[in-house]
Amino acid sequence: MNGTWRWPLLLALSSALGLAAGIFGDGPWDWLCWAGLGLPVAVAIAKLVGGRGPA
Amino acid sequence: MKSKTLRGWYAVHRWTSLACTANLLLLCLSGLILIFHHEIDHLLGQEPPPARGAADLPRPSLQQLADAALLAHPGSVPKSITLFEDDGVPMVGVRVGAPGVASLREGSSIFMDAGNGAPRALFTGDTFTGFILKLHVNLFLGFPGQLFIGAVGLVFFLSMLSGIVLYGPFMRKLAFGLVRFGRQSRIVQADLHNLTGIVVMVWALVVGMTGSFLSFSPLIIGLWQKTELSELIRTLPAAPPTSMAPLDEVRRVADQTVPGKDLAYIFYPGTEYATQRHYMVVLRGHSEIAKRVFNIVVVDAETGQLAAQRSMPWYMQVLLLSGPFHFGDYGGLPLKILWALLTLLTTGATTTGLIIWARRSKTATRQIDAGNAHLKEQS
Repeated sequence: MNGTWRWPLLLALSSALGLAAGIFGDGPWDWLCWAGLGLPVAVAIAKLVGGRGPA
Repeated sequence: MKSKTLRGWYAVHRWTSLACTANLLLLCLSGLILIFHHEIDHLLGQEPPPARGAADLPRPSLQQLADAALLAHPGSVPKSITLFEDDGVPMVGVRVGAPGVASLREGSSIFMDAGNGAPRALFTGDTFTGFILKLHVNLFLGFPGQLFIGAVGLVFFLSMLSGIVLYGPFMRKLAFGLVRFGRQSRIVQADLHNLTGIVVMVWALVVGMTGSFLSFSPLIIGLWQKTELSELIRTLPAAPPTSMAPLDEVRRVADQTVPGKDLAYIFYPGTEYATQRHYMVVLRGHSEIAKRVFNIVVVDAETGQLAAQRSMPWYMQVLLLSGPFHFGDYGGLPLKILWALLTLLTTGATTTGLIIWARRSKTATRQIDAGNAHLKEQS
């Protein structure tokens, strides 16, 4: 696995885990669901807010 | 990847994306509203009124509720019973219609509080979110519109898949999530497109495919009716019942056959989901996932005896599980908010993709015009 795919695969795994977790139950499953789907959103926001200006 | 292959994937990505852009933007915006339909209905005062004055009544039996619905619709016959929860209140819906009509679409439903039998109005589609829902599901075009939306979902799947294939070669020399604000507008748009697209990848594929599956639901249910359900009906006696076993007895037989599950539906004999002689009873589990795993118990309507038991085929289970994965309604308000943010990111990826194409096309047009002008000058 090269550097290009490291983050996308991590986010894909996190999203899949988040999507699946919530359907299995409530309580801790819901937290796992929110964390799993929250990671891609948080990464996107961090990259958008911290976007690099002109060199 | 060879440059010819890359160009092929690029063509697939460009044309599939362009084909679904307008519809995708519409689905994203309408979907964004629908995520919060409960909250919007509440704000607009378009929620069903709570039942009043019946709190002290004893809990009615299922048969009493069905009889009450028939009293309100003289000349009708019962078609189906639905048990569900509305904002934590156990509810019963009784579908009634003209005698001899198998289709459940023709007829009307009466909803009652299962605890006291009080009638209760439900979401009818005449609200703002009901209007948006029709737009989202079928563009106000009925079944053809629904199939079209399903096809848009499949094209979107191809667009996402080709986008993932292109992501590697395009990002090979760039850091993940790099957004070069302040550079040329096309570079910024491309960076935003790559970031938003890859971040929502799995979520968008799941929501897109489940949306397609839901859009094709009439075809999928039709397949089940024509294959497994028809086969089951063929194996059972077809003589119509001379008398009807009470619903509560039917429920007891179903509960004994599949213990630990809740009653979800009862379809009356002669309707499209039952035989001419039998009640078709559908049971489901309690957890979010088990609620979508159905068991079918067939009960002889005359004798009240168990006739057969079946589980749903895989494609019906996939269809039933598609609902929560498309609507994002299984994890409370935090999941709704995340669903909305992911929808916004998908809207961002769609919009930036369209801008990149529009600007690239203008540049190409300018180059062609410049080339033509140069040739004219030379001649």
